[in-house]
Amino acid sequence: MKKRLIPVIAALSLMASQGPALAHHAFSSEFDANAPVHLTGKVSKVAWVNPHAWIYVDVKTADGSMTTWAIEGGTPNNLFRHGINKDSLQVGTDIVVEGYQAKDKSNRANGRDLTLPSGQKLFMGSSGTGAPYDTKTNPAQ
Amino acid sequence: MSVTNMAKEASLTARLPRRLIIATLSLLLVSAAFSAEAQSPRYRAPRTSDGKPDLNGIWQAVNTANWDLQAHPARLSAVVALGAAFSIPPGLGVVEGGDIPYQLEALKQKEENQAHWMERDPEIKCYMPGIPRATYMPYPFQIVQSPNQVVMAYEYASASRIIYMNSAEKSPADAWMGWSIGRWEGDTLVVDVTSFNAETWFDRAGNFHSDALHVVERYTRVADDVLQYEATIEDPKVFTRSWKISMPLYRRLEKNAQLLEFKCVELVEELIYGSLRKGRSN
Repeated sequence: MKKRLIPVIAALSLMASQGPALAHHAFSSEFDANAPVHLTGKVSKVAWVNPHAWIYVDVKTADGSMTTWAIEGGTPNNLFRHGINKDSLQVGTDIVVEGYQAKDKSNRANGRDLTLPSGQKLFMGSSGTGAPYDTKTNPAQ
Repeated sequence: MSVTNMAKEASLTARLPRRLIIATLSLLLVSAAFSAEAQSPRYRAPRTSDGKPDLNGIWQAVNTANWDLQAHPARLSAVVALGAAFSIPPGLGVVEGGDIPYQLEALKQKEENQAHWMERDPEIKCYMPGIPRATYMPYPFQIVQSPNQVVMAYEYASASRIIYMNSAEKSPADAWMGWSIGRWEGDTLVVDVTSFNAETWFDRAGNFHSDALHVVERYTRVADDVLQYEATIEDPKVFTRSWKISMPLYRRLEKNAQLLEFKCVELVEELIYGSLRKGRSN
Protein backbone atom coordinates (compact mmCIF):
# COMPACT_ATOMS: atom_id res chain seq x y z
CA MET A 1 0.00 0.00 0.00
CA LYS A 2 2.78 2.44 0.95
CA LYS A 3 4.72 1.69 -2.25
CA ARG A 4 1.68 2.63 -4.40
CA LEU A 5 0.99 5.79 -2.43
CA ILE A 6 4.39 7.41 -2.98
CA PRO A 7 4.04 8.08 -6.73
CA VAL A 8 0.45 9.25 -6.14
CA ILE A 9 1.50 11.72 -3.44
CA ALA A 10 4.37 12.91 -5.62
CA ALA A 11 2.05 13.54 -8.54
CA LEU A 12 -0.48 15.36 -6.36
CA SER A 13 2.14 17.69 -4.85
CA LEU A 14 3.45 18.45 -8.32
CA MET A 15 -0.01 19.40 -9.47
CA ALA A 16 -0.67 21.53 -6.38
CA SER A 17 2.50 23.55 -6.88
CA GLN A 18 1.61 24.62 -10.39
CA GLY A 19 -0.97 27.24 -9.35
CA PRO A 20 -2.67 29.25 -12.12
CA ALA A 21 -1.02 27.30 -14.89
CA LEU A 22 -3.13 24.34 -13.81
CA ALA A 23 -6.26 26.10 -15.08
CA HIS A 24 -8.03 24.56 -18.07
CA HIS A 25 -7.15 26.22 -21.38
CA ALA A 26 -5.09 29.00 -19.86
CA PHE A 27 -5.58 32.60 -20.95
CA SER A 28 -1.86 33.04 -21.53
CA SER A 29 -1.66 30.32 -24.16
CA GLU A 30 -4.10 32.09 -26.43
CA PHE A 31 -4.35 35.76 -25.49
CA ASP A 32 -1.92 38.59 -24.79
CA ALA A 33 -2.42 40.42 -21.47
CA ASN A 34 -0.29 43.24 -22.89
CA ALA A 35 -2.47 43.76 -25.96
CA PRO A 36 -5.66 45.39 -24.67
CA VAL A 37 -8.42 46.17 -27.16
CA HIS A 38 -11.31 48.61 -27.07
CA LEU A 39 -13.82 47.79 -29.80
CA THR A 40 -17.02 49.55 -30.83
CA GLY A 41 -19.46 47.86 -33.18
CA LYS A 42 -22.71 46.03 -33.77
CA VAL A 43 -23.44 42.51 -32.55
CA SER A 44 -23.73 40.27 -35.61
CA LYS A 45 -24.03 36.89 -33.89
CA VAL A 46 -23.92 35.30 -30.43
CA ALA A 47 -23.01 31.65 -29.92
CA TRP A 48 -24.37 30.56 -26.55
CA VAL A 49 -22.08 27.56 -26.07
CA ASN A 50 -19.91 26.00 -23.40
CA PRO A 51 -17.18 26.35 -22.27
CA HIS A 52 -17.16 29.88 -23.73
CA ALA A 53 -19.91 31.94 -25.30
CA TRP A 54 -18.71 33.87 -28.34
CA ILE A 55 -19.93 37.34 -29.29
CA TYR A 56 -19.29 38.40 -32.87
CA VAL A 57 -19.00 42.15 -33.37
CA ASP A 58 -18.82 44.01 -36.69
CA VAL A 59 -16.29 46.79 -36.19
CA LYS A 60 -15.48 49.63 -38.57
CA THR A 61 -11.75 49.74 -39.29
CA ALA A 62 -9.59 52.86 -39.83
CA ASP A 63 -10.05 52.73 -43.61
CA GLY A 64 -13.84 52.56 -43.29
CA SER A 65 -14.32 48.87 -44.07
CA MET A 66 -16.13 46.47 -41.74
CA THR A 67 -14.44 43.58 -40.02
CA THR A 68 -15.84 40.97 -37.67
CA TRP A 69 -14.21 40.35 -34.30
CA ALA A 70 -14.82 37.16 -32.33
CA ILE A 71 -14.93 37.89 -28.59
CA GLU A 72 -14.63 35.02 -26.15
CA GLY A 73 -16.76 35.34 -23.02
CA GLY A 74 -17.54 33.26 -19.98
CA THR A 75 -20.04 30.42 -19.99
CA PRO A 76 -23.63 31.24 -20.96
CA ASN A 77 -24.66 30.87 -17.31
CA ASN A 78 -21.95 33.31 -16.23
CA LEU A 79 -23.16 35.81 -18.81
CA PHE A 80 -26.79 35.40 -17.70
CA ARG A 81 -25.81 36.14 -14.09
CA HIS A 82 -24.17 39.37 -15.22
CA GLY A 83 -27.25 40.47 -17.16
CA ILE A 84 -26.08 39.41 -20.61
CA ASN A 85 -28.75 37.35 -22.42
CA LYS A 86 -30.50 37.16 -25.76
CA ASP A 87 -32.71 40.13 -24.88
CA SER A 88 -29.96 42.50 -23.73
CA LEU A 89 -27.60 41.38 -26.50
CA GLN A 90 -29.73 41.17 -29.61
CA VAL A 91 -28.21 41.07 -33.06
CA GLY A 92 -27.71 44.67 -34.20
CA THR A 93 -27.05 46.07 -30.72
CA ASP A 94 -24.28 48.67 -30.57
CA ILE A 95 -21.77 47.63 -27.93
CA VAL A 96 -18.30 48.51 -26.69
CA VAL A 97 -16.05 45.58 -25.81
CA GLU A 98 -12.90 45.78 -23.71
CA GLY A 99 -10.53 42.84 -23.58
CA TYR A 100 -7.26 41.37 -24.74
CA GLN A 101 -6.29 40.46 -28.28
CA ALA A 102 -5.26 36.98 -29.39
CA LYS A 103 -1.52 36.28 -29.44
CA ASP A 104 -1.58 35.66 -33.20
CA LYS A 105 -2.92 39.22 -33.70
CA SER A 106 -6.06 37.93 -35.41
CA ASN A 107 -9.51 39.52 -34.94
CA ARG A 108 -10.10 37.47 -31.84
CA ALA A 109 -10.07 38.68 -28.25
CA ASN A 110 -10.80 37.58 -24.72
CA GLY A 111 -13.62 39.83 -23.56
CA ARG A 112 -13.61 41.42 -20.11
CA ASP A 113 -16.37 44.04 -20.13
CA LEU A 114 -19.07 44.99 -22.54
CA THR A 115 -20.99 48.27 -22.49
CA LEU A 116 -24.58 48.38 -23.70
CA PRO A 117 -26.23 51.37 -25.47
CA SER A 118 -27.75 52.34 -22.10
CA GLY A 119 -24.24 52.90 -20.75
CA GLN A 120 -24.51 49.85 -18.51
CA LYS A 121 -21.15 48.09 -18.23
CA LEU A 122 -21.35 44.33 -17.73
CA PHE A 123 -18.60 41.84 -16.90
CA MET A 124 -18.38 39.19 -19.59
CA GLY A 125 -15.09 37.48 -18.74
CA SER A 126 -14.11 33.85 -18.18
CA SER A 127 -13.08 32.34 -14.87
CA GLY A 128 -10.30 29.94 -14.00
CA THR A 129 -8.19 30.83 -17.04
CA GLY A 130 -5.56 33.02 -15.39
CA ALA A 131 -6.80 36.11 -17.22
CA PRO A 132 -5.56 39.48 -15.84
CA TYR A 133 -9.03 40.23 -14.41
CA ASP A 134 -9.48 36.78 -12.88
CA THR A 135 -8.98 37.46 -9.15
CA LYS A 136 -9.18 33.78 -8.19
CA THR A 137 -6.16 32.77 -10.24
CA ASN A 138 -4.50 36.20 -10.01
CA PRO A 139 -4.95 37.25 -6.35
CA ALA A 140 -2.64 40.24 -6.92
CA GLN A 141 -5.41 41.96 -9.00
CA MET B 1 -101.10 18.85 -17.16
CA SER B 2 -104.06 18.91 -14.72
CA VAL B 3 -103.59 17.96 -11.09
CA THR B 4 -105.81 14.87 -11.56
CA ASN B 5 -103.71 13.64 -14.46
CA MET B 6 -100.51 14.20 -12.49
CA ALA B 7 -101.99 12.19 -9.63
CA LYS B 8 -102.86 9.42 -12.09
CA GLU B 9 -99.27 9.52 -13.47
CA ALA B 10 -97.83 9.29 -9.98
CA SER B 11 -99.85 6.25 -9.09
CA LEU B 12 -98.90 4.59 -12.38
CA THR B 13 -95.19 4.99 -11.73
CA ALA B 14 -95.67 3.91 -8.13
CA ARG B 15 -96.94 0.58 -9.40
CA LEU B 16 -93.79 -0.07 -11.53
CA PRO B 17 -91.20 -1.97 -9.52
CA ARG B 18 -88.50 0.38 -8.18
CA ARG B 19 -85.77 -2.03 -9.27
CA LEU B 20 -86.95 -1.86 -12.86
CA ILE B 21 -86.77 1.94 -12.80
CA ILE B 22 -83.26 1.91 -11.37
CA ALA B 23 -82.19 -0.73 -13.88
CA THR B 24 -83.59 1.26 -16.79
CA LEU B 25 -81.97 4.48 -15.63
CA SER B 26 -78.61 2.72 -15.16
CA LEU B 27 -78.82 1.20 -18.62
CA LEU B 28 -79.55 4.60 -20.13
CA LEU B 29 -76.61 6.21 -18.31
CA VAL B 30 -74.17 3.43 -19.28
CA SER B 31 -75.25 3.40 -22.90
CA ALA B 32 -74.89 7.19 -22.96
CA ALA B 33 -71.34 6.82 -21.68
CA PHE B 34 -70.63 4.12 -24.24
CA SER B 35 -71.94 6.12 -27.16
CA ALA B 36 -69.88 9.14 -26.06
CA GLU B 37 -66.69 7.05 -25.93
CA ALA B 38 -67.53 4.49 -28.59
CA GLN B 39 -65.06 2.27 -26.70
CA SER B 40 -64.20 1.11 -23.18
CA PRO B 41 -64.59 3.68 -20.35
CA ARG B 42 -61.90 6.42 -20.26
CA TYR B 43 -58.77 5.43 -18.31
CA ARG B 44 -58.16 7.42 -15.15
CA ALA B 45 -54.46 7.65 -14.31
CA PRO B 46 -53.31 7.28 -10.70
CA ARG B 47 -52.61 10.66 -9.13
CA THR B 48 -49.50 12.20 -7.62
CA SER B 49 -49.75 13.76 -4.17
CA ASP B 50 -50.76 17.09 -5.74
CA GLY B 51 -53.65 15.50 -7.60
CA LYS B 52 -52.16 15.41 -11.09
CA PRO B 53 -51.93 12.34 -13.38
CA ASP B 54 -48.77 10.46 -12.50
CA LEU B 55 -46.41 10.46 -15.48
CA ASN B 56 -43.35 9.40 -13.48
CA GLY B 57 -41.38 6.53 -14.95
CA ILE B 58 -39.12 5.41 -17.72
CA TRP B 59 -40.67 5.54 -21.17
CA GLN B 60 -39.59 4.76 -24.70
CA ALA B 61 -40.96 5.12 -28.23
CA VAL B 62 -40.99 1.96 -30.33
CA ASN B 63 -41.00 3.09 -33.96
CA THR B 64 -38.69 4.29 -36.71
CA ALA B 65 -39.46 7.99 -36.30
CA ASN B 66 -35.80 8.77 -35.58
CA TRP B 67 -34.89 7.29 -38.98
CA ASP B 68 -37.61 9.19 -40.84
CA LEU B 69 -40.75 10.87 -39.54
CA GLN B 70 -42.55 10.06 -42.78
CA ALA B 71 -43.54 6.66 -44.16
CA HIS B 72 -40.52 5.00 -45.72
CA PRO B 73 -39.54 1.63 -47.21
CA ALA B 74 -36.47 -0.34 -46.11
CA ARG B 75 -33.28 0.66 -47.87
CA LEU B 76 -29.52 0.61 -47.53
CA SER B 77 -28.11 3.45 -45.46
CA ALA B 78 -24.91 5.40 -46.09
CA VAL B 79 -22.64 2.67 -44.76
CA VAL B 80 -22.46 -0.22 -47.23
CA ALA B 81 -20.11 -2.30 -45.08
CA LEU B 82 -22.67 -2.57 -42.29
CA GLY B 83 -25.22 -4.09 -44.63
CA ALA B 84 -28.50 -5.15 -43.07
CA ALA B 85 -27.25 -4.39 -39.55
CA PHE B 86 -27.42 -0.70 -40.29
CA SER B 87 -29.97 -0.48 -43.06
CA ILE B 88 -32.89 1.88 -42.74
CA PRO B 89 -35.84 -0.22 -41.52
CA PRO B 90 -39.32 0.36 -42.98
CA GLY B 91 -41.80 2.54 -41.13
CA LEU B 92 -45.37 3.73 -41.48
CA GLY B 93 -44.47 7.26 -40.38
CA VAL B 94 -45.77 9.34 -37.50
CA VAL B 95 -46.84 12.50 -39.33
CA GLU B 96 -50.61 13.07 -39.24
CA GLY B 97 -51.73 13.37 -42.85
CA GLY B 98 -48.34 12.15 -44.07
CA ASP B 99 -46.98 15.42 -45.46
CA ILE B 100 -44.43 17.73 -43.93
CA PRO B 101 -45.46 21.12 -45.41
CA TYR B 102 -42.10 22.59 -46.43
CA GLN B 103 -41.76 25.93 -48.16
CA LEU B 104 -40.22 25.45 -51.62
CA GLU B 105 -36.67 26.53 -50.76
CA ALA B 106 -36.77 24.69 -47.46
CA LEU B 107 -37.71 21.45 -49.21
CA LYS B 108 -34.52 21.73 -51.28
CA GLN B 109 -32.59 22.17 -48.04
CA LYS B 110 -34.21 19.03 -46.62
CA GLU B 111 -33.28 16.99 -49.66
CA GLU B 112 -29.72 18.30 -49.49
CA ASN B 113 -29.57 17.42 -45.80
CA GLN B 114 -30.76 13.91 -46.56
CA ALA B 115 -28.22 13.45 -49.34
CA HIS B 116 -25.39 14.55 -47.01
CA TRP B 117 -26.75 12.89 -43.90
CA MET B 118 -23.51 11.50 -42.56
CA GLU B 119 -21.70 14.84 -42.65
CA ARG B 120 -24.61 16.90 -41.38
CA ASP B 121 -26.83 15.00 -38.96
CA PRO B 122 -26.07 16.46 -35.50
CA GLU B 123 -26.95 13.10 -33.91
CA ILE B 124 -23.76 11.65 -35.32
CA LYS B 125 -21.60 14.09 -33.36
CA CYS B 126 -23.59 13.67 -30.17
CA TYR B 127 -25.17 17.09 -30.22
CA MET B 128 -28.26 17.65 -28.10
CA PRO B 129 -31.18 16.09 -30.02
CA GLY B 130 -33.71 18.86 -29.46
CA ILE B 131 -37.47 18.51 -29.08
CA PRO B 132 -39.35 16.47 -30.29
CA ARG B 133 -36.51 14.24 -31.54
CA ALA B 134 -35.34 13.46 -27.98
CA THR B 135 -38.72 11.83 -27.34
CA TYR B 136 -38.48 9.23 -30.08
CA MET B 137 -34.80 8.42 -30.18
CA PRO B 138 -34.45 4.65 -29.74
CA TYR B 139 -33.38 4.97 -26.10
CA PRO B 140 -35.39 5.35 -22.89
CA PHE B 141 -36.09 8.61 -21.12
CA GLN B 142 -37.30 9.31 -17.61
CA ILE B 143 -40.02 11.66 -16.41
CA VAL B 144 -39.59 13.02 -12.89
CA GLN B 145 -42.64 14.98 -11.93
CA SER B 146 -43.18 17.58 -9.22
CA PRO B 147 -45.72 20.43 -8.92
CA ASN B 148 -43.41 23.23 -10.12
CA GLN B 149 -41.11 21.34 -12.47
CA VAL B 150 -41.21 18.27 -14.63
CA VAL B 151 -37.77 16.97 -15.51
CA MET B 152 -37.24 14.80 -18.56
CA ALA B 153 -33.92 12.99 -18.59
CA TYR B 154 -32.95 11.27 -21.84
CA GLU B 155 -30.48 8.40 -22.02
CA TYR B 156 -29.05 9.67 -25.34
CA ALA B 157 -26.09 11.95 -24.60
CA SER B 158 -27.46 12.33 -21.06
CA ALA B 159 -29.62 15.11 -22.52
CA SER B 160 -32.23 16.60 -20.25
CA ARG B 161 -34.62 19.46 -19.91
CA ILE B 162 -36.62 21.10 -17.18
CA ILE B 163 -40.26 21.93 -17.90
CA TYR B 164 -41.21 24.95 -15.80
CA MET B 165 -44.82 24.51 -14.76
CA ASN B 166 -47.12 27.56 -15.10
CA SER B 167 -44.10 29.84 -15.37
CA ALA B 168 -43.82 33.26 -16.99
CA GLU B 169 -40.02 33.16 -16.92
CA LYS B 170 -38.33 33.99 -20.23
CA SER B 171 -35.52 32.04 -21.87
CA PRO B 172 -32.12 33.72 -21.49
CA ALA B 173 -30.76 32.25 -24.73
CA ASP B 174 -31.65 29.98 -27.62
CA ALA B 175 -30.64 26.39 -27.01
CA TRP B 176 -30.62 22.96 -28.61
CA MET B 177 -33.27 21.67 -26.21
CA GLY B 178 -35.33 24.86 -26.29
CA TRP B 179 -37.17 26.39 -23.33
CA SER B 180 -40.12 24.43 -21.95
CA ILE B 181 -43.13 25.87 -20.14
CA GLY B 182 -45.71 23.35 -18.96
CA ARG B 183 -49.33 23.38 -17.78
CA TRP B 184 -52.10 20.84 -17.22
CA GLU B 185 -55.16 20.76 -19.47
CA GLY B 186 -57.40 18.25 -17.76
CA ASP B 187 -55.37 15.05 -17.62
CA THR B 188 -52.93 16.13 -20.33
CA LEU B 189 -49.52 17.67 -19.71
CA VAL B 190 -49.13 20.41 -22.31
CA VAL B 191 -45.57 21.63 -22.92
CA ASP B 192 -44.91 24.79 -24.92
CA VAL B 193 -41.34 24.78 -26.24
CA THR B 194 -39.69 27.84 -27.80
CA SER B 195 -36.25 29.50 -27.91
CA PHE B 196 -34.62 26.84 -30.06
CA ASN B 197 -31.45 27.43 -32.01
CA ALA B 198 -31.35 26.21 -35.60
CA GLU B 199 -28.95 23.34 -34.97
CA THR B 200 -31.09 20.24 -34.45
CA TRP B 201 -32.85 17.93 -36.89
CA PHE B 202 -36.10 16.07 -36.48
CA ASP B 203 -34.74 12.74 -37.76
CA ARG B 204 -32.02 11.06 -39.82
CA ALA B 205 -33.81 11.97 -43.05
CA GLY B 206 -32.70 15.59 -43.00
CA ASN B 207 -35.94 17.10 -41.70
CA PHE B 208 -34.90 20.36 -40.07
CA HIS B 209 -36.10 23.68 -38.66
CA SER B 210 -34.98 27.27 -38.01
CA ASP B 211 -34.63 29.26 -34.80
CA ALA B 212 -38.30 30.19 -35.17
CA LEU B 213 -39.37 26.66 -34.24
CA HIS B 214 -42.30 26.36 -31.85
CA VAL B 215 -43.38 22.95 -30.54
CA VAL B 216 -46.44 22.18 -28.41
CA GLU B 217 -46.36 18.72 -26.88
CA ARG B 218 -49.18 16.80 -25.23
CA TYR B 219 -48.57 13.86 -22.88
CA THR B 220 -51.61 11.83 -21.77
CA ARG B 221 -51.46 8.62 -19.78
CA VAL B 222 -53.96 6.36 -21.57
CA ALA B 223 -53.15 3.11 -19.77
CA ASP B 224 -51.01 2.08 -16.81
CA ASP B 225 -47.99 1.64 -19.05
CA VAL B 226 -48.73 3.81 -22.07
CA LEU B 227 -48.51 7.54 -22.71
CA GLN B 228 -50.05 9.03 -25.81
CA TYR B 229 -47.66 11.64 -27.20
CA GLU B 230 -48.51 14.36 -29.67
CA ALA B 231 -46.39 17.23 -30.89
CA THR B 232 -47.58 20.14 -33.02
CA ILE B 233 -44.74 21.75 -34.91
CA GLU B 234 -44.71 25.20 -36.46
CA ASP B 235 -41.90 27.23 -38.00
CA PRO B 236 -42.87 30.16 -40.23
CA LYS B 237 -39.37 30.28 -41.76
CA VAL B 238 -39.48 26.67 -42.95
CA PHE B 239 -43.05 25.34 -43.19
CA THR B 240 -46.21 26.71 -44.80
CA ARG B 241 -48.42 25.68 -41.87
CA SER B 242 -48.20 23.76 -38.61
CA TRP B 243 -48.14 19.96 -38.66
CA LYS B 244 -48.45 17.21 -36.11
CA ILE B 245 -46.82 13.95 -35.12
CA SER B 246 -48.24 11.39 -32.69
CA MET B 247 -47.19 8.07 -31.20
CA PRO B 248 -47.57 5.96 -28.08
CA LEU B 249 -44.74 5.85 -25.53
CA TYR B 250 -44.33 2.59 -23.65
CA ARG B 251 -43.20 2.13 -20.09
CA ARG B 252 -39.99 0.16 -19.57
CA LEU B 253 -41.20 -2.58 -17.25
CA GLU B 254 -37.99 -4.40 -16.37
CA LYS B 255 -37.47 -4.63 -12.60
CA ASN B 256 -34.11 -2.94 -13.06
CA ALA B 257 -35.27 -0.42 -15.66
CA GLN B 258 -32.99 2.62 -15.49
CA LEU B 259 -31.24 5.11 -17.69
CA LEU B 260 -27.67 4.04 -18.33
CA GLU B 261 -24.83 6.38 -19.09
CA PHE B 262 -24.56 7.13 -22.80
CA LYS B 263 -22.15 10.05 -22.88
CA CYS B 264 -21.38 9.90 -26.56
CA VAL B 265 -19.18 13.00 -26.89
CA GLU B 266 -16.11 10.88 -26.11
CA LEU B 267 -17.20 8.33 -28.70
CA VAL B 268 -17.01 10.99 -31.41
CA GLU B 269 -13.50 12.27 -30.64
CA GLU B 270 -11.87 10.05 -33.23
CA LEU B 271 -14.34 11.18 -35.89
CA ILE B 272 -13.95 14.89 -35.18
CA TYR B 273 -10.31 15.14 -34.12
CA GLY B 274 -8.63 11.95 -35.32
CA SER B 275 -7.06 13.75 -38.27
CA LEU B 276 -5.17 16.01 -35.84
CA ARG B 277 -3.28 13.14 -34.27
CA LYS B 278 0.49 13.54 -34.47
CA GLY B 279 2.08 11.61 -37.27
CA ARG B 280 -1.08 11.46 -39.34
CA SER B 281 -0.44 12.44 -42.94
CA ASN B 282 -4.02 13.56 -43.70
